[in-house]
Amino acid sequence: MNKEIKLSVNNLKVSFRTDGGKVQAVRDISFDLYKGETLAIVGESGSGKSVTSKAIMGISAGNSIYEGGEILYDGQDLIRIPEEEMHKLRGDKIAMIFQDPLSALNPIMRIGKQITEAMLLKNKANRKEGKVTFNKTLAELSEMMKKALAENPNASFNASDVDKYIKTFDGFNIQAIKLENSYNEARTATEEMLAVIEELLFMNENRQKVDVVSMLSLIKRKLKGINDKYFVSKYADALNAHAMSLYSVIRAERKKENLLDSAKKLAGGNAAKKEASPETITVLEALKKTAKEMLEQPAYNFFRIGYYVFKNPGADLSKMPAEEANEMAVKFLDDDFMTSFIALEKIAVQYSFAKTIENKKAAIAALESTIAFFKTGKFSEKEADAAYKSVNKSVLAAIDPLAVIKDNIAYTFGGALEREIEKYFFILKNNPKEEARFARQTAKREALLAKGKTVEWEVVPKSVIEPEVQIESMVSVLARVMNKFKNDVEMAESFDVDKRCIEIIDFLKEKAAQVVYKLTKSIAKEKAIKLMEEVGIPQARMRYRQYPFEFSGGMRQRIVIAIALSANPDVLICDEPTTALDVTIQAQILELINRLKKERNLSIIFITHDLGVVANMADRIAVMYAGKIVEYGTAEEVFYDPRHPYTWALLSSMPDLDTNEKLDAIPGTPPNMIYPPVGDAFAARNKYAMEIDFEMQPPMYEVSPTHFAATWLLHPNAPKVELPKIITERIKRMKERGGNHGEE
Amino acid sequence: MEKNNEVLLKVDHLCQYFSLGHRDMKAVDDVSFEIRKGETFGLVGESGCGKTTTGRSIIKLYDITSGNIYFKGQRIGAGTRSYKDAISAARTDAAKKLKQLRSEGASEEEIKKVIAERDEIIAKNRELIKDAKSDNKEVDKQYAESLLKDLETEYAEKFKQVEGNAEKLAALKKEYKNRCRVAKKSRLITQIQMIFQDPIASLDPRMTVRDIIAEGLVINGITDKDYINEKVYEILETVGLVREHADRYPHEFSGGQRQRIGIARAVVMQPEMIIADEPISALDVSIQAQVINLLNDLRERLGLTILFIAHDLSVVKYFSDRIGVMYFGKMVELADSDELFKNPLHPYTKSLLSAIPLPDPVYEKQRTRITYNPIAEHDYSVDAPTFREITPGHFVQCNDAEEAKYRQQIK
Repeated sequence: MNKEIKLSVNNLKVSFRTDGGKVQAVRDISFDLYKGETLAIVGESGSGKSVTSKAIMGISAGNSIYEGGEILYDGQDLIRIPEEEMHKLRGDKIAMIFQDPLSALNPIMRIGKQITEAMLLKNKANRKEGKVTFNKTLAELSEMMKKALAENPNASFNASDVDKYIKTFDGFNIQAIKLENSYNEARTATEEMLAVIEELLFMNENRQKVDVVSMLSLIKRKLKGINDKYFVSKYADALNAHAMSLYSVIRAERKKENLLDSAKKLAGGNAAKKEASPETITVLEALKKTAKEMLEQPAYNFFRIGYYVFKNPGADLSKMPAEEANEMAVKFLDDDFMTSFIALEKIAVQYSFAKTIENKKAAIAALESTIAFFKTGKFSEKEADAAYKSVNKSVLAAIDPLAVIKDNIAYTFGGALEREIEKYFFILKNNPKEEARFARQTAKREALLAKGKTVEWEVVPKSVIEPEVQIESMVSVLARVMNKFKNDVEMAESFDVDKRCIEIIDFLKEKAAQVVYKLTKSIAKEKAIKLMEEVGIPQARMRYRQYPFEFSGGMRQRIVIAIALSANPDVLICDEPTTALDVTIQAQILELINRLKKERNLSIIFITHDLGVVANMADRIAVMYAGKIVEYGTAEEVFYDPRHPYTWALLSSMPDLDTNEKLDAIPGTPPNMIYPPVGDAFAARNKYAMEIDFEMQPPMYEVSPTHFAATWLLHPNAPKVELPKIITERIKRMKERGGNHGEE
Repeated sequence: MEKNNEVLLKVDHLCQYFSLGHRDMKAVDDVSFEIRKGETFGLVGESGCGKTTTGRSIIKLYDITSGNIYFKGQRIGAGTRSYKDAISAARTDAAKKLKQLRSEGASEEEIKKVIAERDEIIAKNRELIKDAKSDNKEVDKQYAESLLKDLETEYAEKFKQVEGNAEKLAALKKEYKNRCRVAKKSRLITQIQMIFQDPIASLDPRMTVRDIIAEGLVINGITDKDYINEKVYEILETVGLVREHADRYPHEFSGGQRQRIGIARAVVMQPEMIIADEPISALDVSIQAQVINLLNDLRERLGLTILFIAHDLSVVKYFSDRIGVMYFGKMVELADSDELFKNPLHPYTKSLLSAIPLPDPVYEKQRTRITYNPIAEHDYSVDAPTFREITPGHFVQCNDAEEAKYRQQIK
């Protein structure tokens, strides 16, 4: 089956700088995450599971070094993109659930605020960003049109036309935004009113004390705010009727309250419980129904209607049903403006594209010469800098400013190359120092040993990178962008101008909409409550106002999941989400994650050391040990046909319900990753280890197209080895039962 | 393993309440069970159901609210709340009766009879309270005294044997004196030792492993350094560490080794019983198996009785002879471990068993979890539940109707 790859990690290497030396936490791992699947990463603590996930989120510790590899998401390399870009992805596209829910929540903030905080901040940032991008793109488009016309005199447009068209486009967009804004404001008011009504009804139902009159007045104010003609259209009369009955109800409630107050004064007793009378409830229910209907009516296409109103000031389409109005406006817009605008746009797009292809060809030549220049290995810092600057200039010139989907390799090329060059010169300076230190320490140690003393410390191995290797990585940065450009030039034949034109207009529309969409606090609250209900928190409306300490462990973990989901991410990373919880709660949380995965088609990376949990969650499993993936395959393959001795050890060290024999504990401890073993890292703790295991790292052997394991036991010349008895028996039991545990 | 029916520890209607100011939090509410010599008793339940509190109450880290705890037939803990409640109930009862009698104009004699009854109950309960208090206080003293008495008789004979030999007599007397000093300080409760959940938090970072292990011996009055060292080395080897580790500090060890130190500290006191409070849940997978194997070894070698508290059911099943299931401070089911997993009766047990994840993907994909909702499952408005024996050795918390149902099920 051809599945869409969401995230792919290639040859990732991460180390940590420590006092004792460089700890190699992740050593060259690669995996793909498909859309809508769960990939489980299993291993002991210290095997590099969490380091991998943190690298994907871009939240590695300060002393971490990325030694190589890439993490590709959405055509971007997450290791190389700048922090601002990462900031847009983190939480928005890739979200994470942490191990300890209590330390992931702020103890002095109410739950509700913590859930809505990100929504509100993201909304504000989005609106700002939308405005800037809209203006910039439009300016670029106009400039490109002018340039294209200047070089193409036989076109049916001239330069003054461009200004006119752009102005019109901008103008009617503003008109559309105005209309939409007003429409949305009315919509927001309706939603807010609905929220207040629901709150009042909820409080009333639960017999809580409420200030009925002030809440009704609030509803009245919100009702007055619903005055956009497009939004109200055919509900105008109904709303008027509702307003009238609401006024009378408010009067009645106020009277009742006054009466109660005076009664209280007379009796000198406690205040009577304030409750809405049944009439009020009926009125509110009716209003709620109308409001809900209004929210569900078909939307107007304000982009088109905006143009109609722009051309015919004073025109009113609100009486027309939405579909009809839309249709008419579309026709009007196409005839009057859009066709010619698109024709003009086409010229610009074609011109810009042709130009970039030319520039790309030039850039390829420049890149080739730079590669040759670096490959000589003889250049000073100044020369390298000059070469970098010139090649970066030509690469940047080769980027099509009208491309909506940004070419991230080219955009991030400059920074990446600059870093690599910097590193090269650092290495040149640092290598002799490092050699000297190593020689000094070795000499000292040997001297001490010669004196017959016991030396407890070991010499920190030298972290020397050969300059040639560094040049190689510089060249690879250049080669990557060159290959990309070459590919682009080859594909130039099949370029679809119309598609690009529509993309640009859609992009502009999207940005304009982004500016218009305003999330108020009360809407955010309703959204948060909906989300809390979705993750299974009962009485969400009440819980919304509580603090983290008022929740039990399982509920807290649900809150963390709700926060992670609030931005609607594509990829969810769960870092041991149930390790701190007990069996029943764990089962509930796992069910919740599984349900959400199905509903939202999420891709999940699930990190844990509990194999029972893995069997429940995972579609595919990667077993990690000492920073390497030692086995990976589908859940069935890993559990029913494990191949690596470490997987065997993990499986046989946990009892299940039918285990009676002595457990096979894994002897010893994981290796110290400052001095990673030469051969198979697990060899020292492995009773099946052969001599070659201590000398050479085993390659990944293919067991089946989806199942791989890195162990010499799979080599054709390896001796046949029996699986541990505890596993063979368990597998036999599982196969016999065919999944019917406990139903004897 | 041969069946041993000698009861080592008996917990009888144990209640442990914590005061929250305006009301009590019933952490453990009326829990009774027995642990036989040489067996492993598992205690399971979700977090916050009172498993750990039960363990801590047994070892007298808390003053229990009511109920009794017997260890080797001796009462080591007793609560007084139930007696106090009985006294106040008797008082209010009597007051009500008297009021009624007086309004009816009953004879002097009848009134006197009621008062006498009341006073009798009060006196009886006061006596019980006094007993409980004195037991709580004097248990260690009594234990020390009995030890001393044993020593006295033992040495009286020895003295007789060496009569006349002044040198030998002096040596023997010195030995007697030393042992008397240790006996005076020893307490019955040291026969029960505890292993804690978090091996990092439960070891003092400023003490060497030797100090940590020897601390209990020192507190018990042993001053002989050579003897202590010998003991420490011996115990280190027993738990799978080496002599050289004695002079290191806890931070120099890995998680599994630290838990071994915790176990060594408990075992060095030569206890009869160990309370293991989630000893493996803070450990890594590969190390969990090491610790389980070690505990199993020790049990066989030293004949230990273990109260094993955990929430990982597969481990509890693997490790325990009998299992008690707790829910919100109450024991809801108690049975042999095989019996419990084969015939779970209480709906909570069923829900707990259905939540165990197993390393079997095909089974896991079709596993359905049973949810437990006490309000929907039980109707205790008329008939309150008690802890009853359904089949020999299988106890369930239920009322009459449910008991009949369970009996039907088990057949």
